[in-house]
Amino acid sequence: MSRGDSSPPRDKPLTSPISQQLAGLLGADAVLPTDSYSIDDVVPPAVVQPGDRKGVAQVMRWASQTGAKVSPYGGGILAGLGNLPDRIDVVLDLSRLNRVTDYQPADLTATVEAGIALEDMRRELAHGEKLAPLEAPFPGRATIGGILATNCSGPLRFAYGLPRDWLIGVTVVGAGGQETKSGGRVVKNVTGYDLNKLYTGSLGTLGVILEASFKLTPRAEARAGLAASFPTLKEALSAGRSLVSQVFVPQGVQVVNRASAERLNLDLPNLPSGADGLILALAEGRPRATARRVEESASVLSDAGAANIDRLQESDTVSLAQRVTDLGWDEQTRPFLGLKIDLPPSVLEQFLDALQPVAGTGVIADVGFGTVQVFHWVNPFAQGGQEIDGAVAEIARVRALARSLGGTVVVEHCAKPVKAAIDVWEGCAGESELQIMRRIKEKFDPAGLLNPGRFIGRI
Amino acid sequence: MQPSEFIHRLQDIVGPDYVIHHPEDLLVYEYDGSVDRSMPRAVALPSDADQVSRVLALAYDEGVPLVGRGSGTGLSGGALAPPGGIQIAFTRMNRILEVDTENLTATIEPGVINLDLDTHVRKFGMRYAPDPSSQKACSLGGNIAENAGGPHCLAYGTTTNHVLGMEVALEDGTLVQLGGSARQVPGYDLRGVFVGSEGTFGIATKIKVRLLPLPETVRTFLGIFPDIESACSAVSAVIGHGIVPAALEMIDALSIRAVQNVTDAGYPDDAGAVLLIELEGLWEEVDEVSREVESALWETGANEVRVAEEDSERERLWLGRKTAFGAFGTIAPNYYLVDGVVPRTRLTQVLRKVSEVSEKYGIIIANVFHAGDGNLHPCMLFDEREPGVKERAMAGASELMEYCVEMGGSLSGEHGIGLEKKQFMPLVYTEHDMEAMRLVRDAFAPSGRLNPGKIFPDGEEYVPVTQRTPTQVDPDFYV
Repeated sequence: MSRGDSSPPRDKPLTSPISQQLAGLLGADAVLPTDSYSIDDVVPPAVVQPGDRKGVAQVMRWASQTGAKVSPYGGGILAGLGNLPDRIDVVLDLSRLNRVTDYQPADLTATVEAGIALEDMRRELAHGEKLAPLEAPFPGRATIGGILATNCSGPLRFAYGLPRDWLIGVTVVGAGGQETKSGGRVVKNVTGYDLNKLYTGSLGTLGVILEASFKLTPRAEARAGLAASFPTLKEALSAGRSLVSQVFVPQGVQVVNRASAERLNLDLPNLPSGADGLILALAEGRPRATARRVEESASVLSDAGAANIDRLQESDTVSLAQRVTDLGWDEQTRPFLGLKIDLPPSVLEQFLDALQPVAGTGVIADVGFGTVQVFHWVNPFAQGGQEIDGAVAEIARVRALARSLGGTVVVEHCAKPVKAAIDVWEGCAGESELQIMRRIKEKFDPAGLLNPGRFIGRI
Repeated sequence: MQPSEFIHRLQDIVGPDYVIHHPEDLLVYEYDGSVDRSMPRAVALPSDADQVSRVLALAYDEGVPLVGRGSGTGLSGGALAPPGGIQIAFTRMNRILEVDTENLTATIEPGVINLDLDTHVRKFGMRYAPDPSSQKACSLGGNIAENAGGPHCLAYGTTTNHVLGMEVALEDGTLVQLGGSARQVPGYDLRGVFVGSEGTFGIATKIKVRLLPLPETVRTFLGIFPDIESACSAVSAVIGHGIVPAALEMIDALSIRAVQNVTDAGYPDDAGAVLLIELEGLWEEVDEVSREVESALWETGANEVRVAEEDSERERLWLGRKTAFGAFGTIAPNYYLVDGVVPRTRLTQVLRKVSEVSEKYGIIIANVFHAGDGNLHPCMLFDEREPGVKERAMAGASELMEYCVEMGGSLSGEHGIGLEKKQFMPLVYTEHDMEAMRLVRDAFAPSGRLNPGKIFPDGEEYVPVTQRTPTQVDPDFYV
C-alpha cells in the first residue's frame, strides 16, 4: 500500500519552517519526512499528506497566503515528467485520499479519490466485473490522480483511447483553495464546459485533483495474444501496419525492437537470435472472437514473413501488457533518455526509417495509435565529454524529424543536466495555442503556485 | 459606424449576395429547434476561413456580438443571435477537404452535414460514428459547438471523442490550430475543452475528425414490450449481462402511435414500448451476444423480438425511431424536448415521474430516447395557441430537469445548455464551479462577445418549480 499507512517517525523533529507551519495547519501526523521524495533529484523542503479533502483545500489556502509552491504527488511514478521546476516548497501527497467513493456496476460508473492506486481501483471494481480501461507503469503505486494529470496510457490505447476518454467528472482544489467540480456521474453530459478535458494531462498546473468519476466497461471474458518475430524492425512495422487495418485487429498492437524486448524482460524463449523486430498483439473480449483475432493475426503475420509466432495464454498476455506499459523501468531506474513521440500512424515507418537509432536504442511503437517510445538506457553519447551536447542534439534531431511528419515529441525522461539544457515540451503547441494556454494558467493560478515552470511553455 | 456602413463592410468581405439583412429574409434565421426566438441584425455567409476571420475582426472592432450558425437544428437556442448581434452561417463552407484512408481521418469545413460526411466515407469502408437524430440536416460545426451525441454514442462516445484537431477563429479573427492529426496532443487539451463550448470560445473553420472502420457484422433487434417498465428492466438486464451494445434506444407507446400515424413501422397497436438494440463487431461476438440479448428480452417480458442483419431490413427496424420526432406533429403542432440524463438504473423511476408530470400539468409527453446511456428525451407536446399551455409545458419540463438532477443526473446529455437551460445551471453547479468555467471562456474570448448570454444564468437565484408560488401557474388550470 501507499506510504500513507506508515506513521511518520515522531522522534524526528520537523526541521524546516514550512514543515512546522504545515504541522500547525494539519497536525504533525500529516507532515512526512522528505527523504523518500525527490523531484528531478531535489528533495523537497516539505511533504504534506492530508488525510481528507478539507486538508488539501487548507494546504492550498495556506499556499496562496504564503506564496509556497506546491507540487501535487501521487505514487511518484511520473513525478519526473516536465521541465525542471522553478521552485517547489511542498510536495502535496494525495495517497491518503484512496477510497472508491461510489461504484454503480449496473450504471457502469465509479467515483474514486485521486490517491487510490490503479491496482486497488481495479481490484475493487472487479467485484462488479467492471473496469475503467486505464494503464500505467507500476499500477500498485500509480494513482488515478497521477494517471489523469499525465494522461498516461499503455498498449491498449488503440482500442480504448486515453484517460480523457473515460473521465466523466472531476473535483479539484484550485490554487486558491476553492473546491470546484465539472461534469458529473452520468456517462453522457454536456452541462457546462467540459473542464474534465482541460484538467486531464495538465500536470497538476491548474488544480489538485481530489476525486474523479469514470464511465466503465465490462471486464473482458478472455485475453490472448501473440508475439511474432521478424528479421528487422522495418519488416515488423510494415506487418504491424497491415494488421491494424484488418477487421479482426487485436485491441493492442505494439512493434518493439530487440533492445526493447530485452529491456522489457519479455521472456520469449523462442525469439530467434537474429530477429530485431517483434510484434506483440494483445486481444480481449468474448472467448471465440478473441481466439479468432489471434488466429487470423497469426496468419496475416505469417504471410508477412514472421520468422516465429508464439501464442500467449491469458496470464502471459496480461503480464506482457503490463511489461510494455512499464517500459522497462524498475523502481529506481529511469532511462538516460526517454522520448514519447506522437504521430499520425501512417508515417511511423517513414519516421523510424529516418530515425536510424544508434545501437542499443529501445523502440516501442503503437502502430494503430501512432505513439512511439524511444529509449536510451545508457548514455550513448558518453564518449568524448559530449554526453550533454550529444543528447541535446539527438533530441533536436528527433524533434525536427517528428515535426516534419506532423508529430510531437515529449522528453519523458532525461538526466538532469540534459533537462537543464532543453524544453521538455518544445514544439508541442503553436505560439497562438500557447498564448491561450498561458492565459488559462494565469486565470486559474495567477500566483503560479502549482508546479511552476514544469509544463508546456514553462507554464 | 452607421448600421448601413457595417452591412457594407460585411458585404465587402463575403460578397454583396452573401449578407442577409432585410427583416423578411432574416425571419428564417430567427429560430433554431428550440422554443426561443431572436432576430439577428444580419447574417454573413462566408466561403472560407479567411472571410470568417475578417468578419470576426470587423465585429470585434465594432463591438458587435456574434454567433456561428450551422443548420439551425439545435435544441437549446445555442445558435440564436445575441441581442444586437449577427450570425455567421456556414451554408457555403460545406466541402469535405480530405479523406485519409490510412490514418482514418477526414478534414472538413464546418458546414458539412453530418450524414453527408458519413455517407461519403462509407464508400471507403469507414464511418463517422456520432449520429445525432438530426444527422440529415445538422452540421459538423454545430456538432462541435454542442458536443452532439446520437444513438451510436453509447459504444463510441460523443463528438468530443472523435475530433482530432480544428482550425479555429478567435474573437478578434486570429486563426489558431487546436490539436492536430495525432490522437494524443501534449499541453492543455484545448480541442477537448473547445468541443461543447457552444460557440463562446471561437468558431471552428476547419475540422479534422477520426473515422472508424465499418464493423464486420451489424445485427439489430427490435423488442416489443407490453409496457415501459418491462422495457426498462430489459435495458438493465442487457447492461447487467456485461453487454454495451452499439445502440440501445427506447420508444414509448405514445410515440409508437405517432409513428404509426405517418408510416407503417410495423409496430403492433397495443405495444407499450419498443426497444431497439444494435450489436456490432466480429461475427463471433455478435452471435454470442445476440443470444444473451434475445434471452434478456424474452426474460423481461417481451411480446415479440425481431432480428435483422441485412441493411434494408435493419433500416426497417430503425424506421420508427428515425421518424418519431417528425411524427409528433400528428399529435400536436408544438413540442418542447427535455434532454435530461440520469444513471441508467434510474430510468424506470424517472419515466414514472414523467407520467406524473404529464398528469399534473395536463401536457402530453412522448418518450423516444437513448436508454442505454440514460439520456431521456421526454417530449412535451402542445398547441401554443391554447392559452397558458406553453407555460405549463415549461413548468413541467423544469420539474423533470430538477428530478433528473435529484436522481444523480444532469441537465443535458447532448443538446447543450444555450438559452433554454441556463437558469437551471445552479441545480448542478455552484457559483465557484461556474466561475472556473468562465475563466476558460475568458482565456479564449476575453471580450465576451462570442455568443454572450448563453450557458450561464443571468444571476438570479433558481427557485425550484415545486417551491414557486402558485400564482406562477396558470390559475385557470387544474387537474
